[in-house]
Amino acid sequence: MPITYPHFGSLTYLLEIFLNELGRYDTVKPNKPSRKTAIIGSRHSPEFICTPFKIVLGTFIESIEAGAYELAMGGFHAHCRFGYYWPVLKMILEDLGYDFRFIILDHLNPALFLRVLKDEVSDNLKLSQILKALRIVWNKFCCIELVDKLLSKYRAVEFDKGSSELVAEKAFKLIDKEKGIRNIKNLKKKLPELFEKEVCIDTKVNLLKVAIIGEIYVVLEPSLNLDIHKRLNELGVIVDTPVSLRNYVDFEGIFNPFKKTHKQITLKKVKHYLEHSCGGDAQASIGDTILYKEKGWDGMVHLYPFTCMPEIISKSILPQISEEYNMPVLSLTLDEQTGEAGFQTRLEAFVDLLERKEESNCK
Amino acid sequence: MKVGIPRALLFYQFFPMWTTFFSELGAKVIVSPNTTKQIKAEAVRIAPDEDCYSTKLYFGHVMAIKDKVDYLFIPRFGSSHKTNVGCPKFIGLAEVLQSMFPDLPPIIMPFYSTAKSGHGKRRLIHLIFSIGFKFTKNPFRIIKAARRAFKEQKVHYENLILDEKTLHKWEQTEYLLNNFRSPKERERPLKIALVGHSYMLNDELASLNIQKILMEHGVDFITSEQFPRTLIEKQMDKLDYNLYFEYEREILGTIMHFIESKSIDGIIHLIIFSCGPDSITGEMAARFAQRDPSIPLLQLTFDELTSETGLKTRIEAFLDLARRR
Repeated sequence: MPITYPHFGSLTYLLEIFLNELGRYDTVKPNKPSRKTAIIGSRHSPEFICTPFKIVLGTFIESIEAGAYELAMGGFHAHCRFGYYWPVLKMILEDLGYDFRFIILDHLNPALFLRVLKDEVSDNLKLSQILKALRIVWNKFCCIELVDKLLSKYRAVEFDKGSSELVAEKAFKLIDKEKGIRNIKNLKKKLPELFEKEVCIDTKVNLLKVAIIGEIYVVLEPSLNLDIHKRLNELGVIVDTPVSLRNYVDFEGIFNPFKKTHKQITLKKVKHYLEHSCGGDAQASIGDTILYKEKGWDGMVHLYPFTCMPEIISKSILPQISEEYNMPVLSLTLDEQTGEAGFQTRLEAFVDLLERKEESNCK
Repeated sequence: MKVGIPRALLFYQFFPMWTTFFSELGAKVIVSPNTTKQIKAEAVRIAPDEDCYSTKLYFGHVMAIKDKVDYLFIPRFGSSHKTNVGCPKFIGLAEVLQSMFPDLPPIIMPFYSTAKSGHGKRRLIHLIFSIGFKFTKNPFRIIKAARRAFKEQKVHYENLILDEKTLHKWEQTEYLLNNFRSPKERERPLKIALVGHSYMLNDELASLNIQKILMEHGVDFITSEQFPRTLIEKQMDKLDYNLYFEYEREILGTIMHFIESKSIDGIIHLIIFSCGPDSITGEMAARFAQRDPSIPLLQLTFDELTSETGLKTRIEAFLDLARRR
């Protein structure tokens, strides 16, 4: 039966690869969420649910109409509403009269996670084959993340507008085609060279550096955050984001006890302000702000979906951090109603402010 | 020494325990007054604009008592259940207040979470002593205070929560839960379930005195607080997934039970504006009621702008509908 999954920024490539590795070629690739997707989603959603829910619902409805039957998505137990998504999605889709089946992957429960992958997702594979697929996908995922990171750096300094995006597109294709773990690991080393070779850059300018923090789906999904990475790049700002699935599920931290994971570092920083986890990326948002100040970055943009519970907590604490560490933070709420022009104006104003601050520092 | 406890959010759940504990320790407990219009206005002015209505009110209550006390008691309560959790706002609230208003008196903020941090009896004893030694040096007094506090809480739950037998009697109209005189004597009293968070049901200003309005209309109601826990768990077992917000289980369990048993005339669900978990349960409750439409369900959303007249009209219309069925 055709399988589909939610659209999730450039990780959509990865999910496609993952399903192919598991022997599933009958995938229905989700559309990039458009205005229409958001409208369909919010029409059937509860009143003040967070925005990712609306987008996921809209995407699923479009995919089901394109012929999908199995809907795969995450669902785990946290302090956040995310674990409630699929039961409600299921009820809504049932009431709309669609025919479908949910496959729920819970990464907090590894045994269940593997069992679901083996019995429900994969095409009669053995456990060892699944583990191998996971390993390949994890390595490819690191490559994809690297490309994203390079892209948001090179796009700010490129001479020919659009050239780095073409290179990124090419890199994604290379990653998609590559087979065998050793080749993928080699590719990871080659990617920075590829960018360096093919993108002409302006080396003279001294650019501002801004990091994007916040709720993971909003930060990684360009159609929801109005492609903020690109917008900031076009304003001449180098962008980085510590928010990634890799920092969220850190395998290196599990297998290598000597390595300090990103999560551990941020937790140490945040202890004084928000000691205990209250779901989502609330602690990480605060910790990363301190971390990036220490690394010498110029500003932070904090993104979160409307009515996100954990991020409202971090948003209320961030002004204090901003004052104590002298780090400008711009908090932006996003939902399907966010206007493009207003968003752009606020970003421009923020970048102007950073430039002024830089100038006054130089004097 | 004076300890201030804001009368909002979890206070309505745990007030016997908290007030007893501190007064047994020899501290003077100052609980903020019932929500007034001033508190509401202050709360809406200073609170983060995206918080839910009840959390906003909490800010107002803190401001109402902050100058009168030496300590504020704002626990960071995660959960007391093996897997189910409370709202994340409960954990962040103390630190948010501390960060937004640095001039507050010192905040006592014990952290307790069984579901995520695996806290148990040992943690509880640790917390009790670490708080207790702020007020007295006598460990026996602390133990006594804690014992009495837990006993009070238990007694409170015993008085509040009905057993299944009483519920059954109530469903058969052999027993009334509220003392009131029916305004029109020929009419039978309606039976309604009033479902919502404890801090909405019991806050008279925030809920616009809905309990009194219902009583004036000759309605005998049961709140979701009073509903037997065993029946809630029974309903929750019917779902093929675990709903992990503790207080939402109570709400949805009550609604599902009455939709199934069809033993009452209607359900009124109080939703707090922009409450995260409520947006989910509200939707589920609405859809369950739609699938089995024999019991009418009225969902009312409350925020600082809800008008009393509008609310009264809707309740009257709903009760008329329930009577005609």
